[in-house]
Amino acid sequence: MSRFLIVTLPLTGHAHRAVAVADELTARGHEVAWCGPKSYFRPLLGPDAVLFPTGTRLFREQAGHGIAALKSLWEQYIIPMARFMLPAVNRAVLAYQPDLVVADQHALAGALAAHRHGLPWATLVTEAMELTHPLAALPRVDAWVRAQLAALGQEAGVTGAGFDPLCSPYLLIAFTTPALAGEQPFPGHFVLVGPAMLERPGAFAWELLDPARRQVLVTVGTMAAGLAADFYRRAAAAVAPLAATVQAIAVGPRDLLPDPPGNVLMVPSVPMLALLPRLDAVISHGGMNTVCEALAHGVPLVLAPIRHDQPVVAAQVVRAGAGIRVPFSRVRPGQLRQALVTVLDDPSYRAAARRISDSFAAAGGAPAAATHLERLAAAAR
Amino acid sequence: MASALAAATGDESLLSAGLSAATRLEGDLCLDSLDLVALGAVLRDRYGTAVDLVGYVAGLDIDGIIGLTVGDVSDYVNRCRPPQRGPLRPAQQPQ
Repeated sequence: MSRFLIVTLPLTGHAHRAVAVADELTARGHEVAWCGPKSYFRPLLGPDAVLFPTGTRLFREQAGHGIAALKSLWEQYIIPMARFMLPAVNRAVLAYQPDLVVADQHALAGALAAHRHGLPWATLVTEAMELTHPLAALPRVDAWVRAQLAALGQEAGVTGAGFDPLCSPYLLIAFTTPALAGEQPFPGHFVLVGPAMLERPGAFAWELLDPARRQVLVTVGTMAAGLAADFYRRAAAAVAPLAATVQAIAVGPRDLLPDPPGNVLMVPSVPMLALLPRLDAVISHGGMNTVCEALAHGVPLVLAPIRHDQPVVAAQVVRAGAGIRVPFSRVRPGQLRQALVTVLDDPSYRAAARRISDSFAAAGGAPAAATHLERLAAAAR
Repeated sequence: MASALAAATGDESLLSAGLSAATRLEGDLCLDSLDLVALGAVLRDRYGTAVDLVGYVAGLDIDGIIGLTVGDVSDYVNRCRPPQRGPLRPAQQPQ
């Protein structure tokens, strides 16, 4: 049996993938410890999990979208968070003596600490920005990111030639498949296992769903609450005229949509994996979690990406034929309605989503990720 | 520029959006890199293959991309075009 130290970020899309993999490792008799902000991970992991606490930094969204958002993500969050977590991760490595460090791609402290202590480490790729080089057309942006990484490494005393904290040289696990990310020659130590899904608890009034109508989920995830109200108003106006055939479930605080049309249910949260088999389409901002969960259930999407990797995810979904992209800030209700009706009525979108679903099932998800991790850990012992 | 932007994004409200030279493509118009590629294709179709907006943007540093304005793009297009053709106008238009 092996010992794993997981280092990840207090963000749903990152942490939930790691929990799904950790549950699988634990079920196989391995020992798993965590290093991350206690305020987030203790409630998520429960009282019995081994947790080496770090402090935290709030993820404050500084800039709305595009390259400005990318810059602020690195400058205001990823780099400071790495700096902030690193001493605790170093202490956790020494105290726990793991066989393998499992580091989220953007929890850079995990890679830095493993490298410094001479431990093998694996990268978990939980979003779409760093796998397929979507910014290859903007080489100076990529160079700017590399400069941030180099400065951080220097500060941490980790300057080994060729050391890249974003990509482990041992094992990189990405929660997607080539059917979604695009076929390309990935290095041999990259494994694409498809999504590792974790149910989010949430009560749901199932009796409110009308089986005679088609069901559409509207969600902008957990990160974009500040931008959601205006989009939800336009989404409600888009689906209101479809009341005879479509019922929408909008996820978020009730004050986002104080007076929803009769065919829109505003709910604070949904049990996503239980609900998805009942859904005919999802309207979303294009977060990897939501998109992969929908595609895993063969549900087509209308995507209005806001920032970070969301435009990349949306482009992947469009290329695969499983959805339509609309502009988040500019899309008007009529255009949104047209896109929704298209993915609902044209069976090619659902067929494409099912093809991706098949690729996810074949890729193995969290159990496949656990198998790769336990092989690497066993080899390291 | 307004018509090229509307053609690239499919958003006709840009035609009456009161664009100025200082309007930022990303910060004010919420264009992303895919929109820029589409805008590049529209400008190339209208003003010739010498206009390579994607190549121009690729040469910008991160703050240059964030701050890229409508005026920057129109200046770039004008620089690409033979000087006797004058300011930014569709190529097929009589001189």
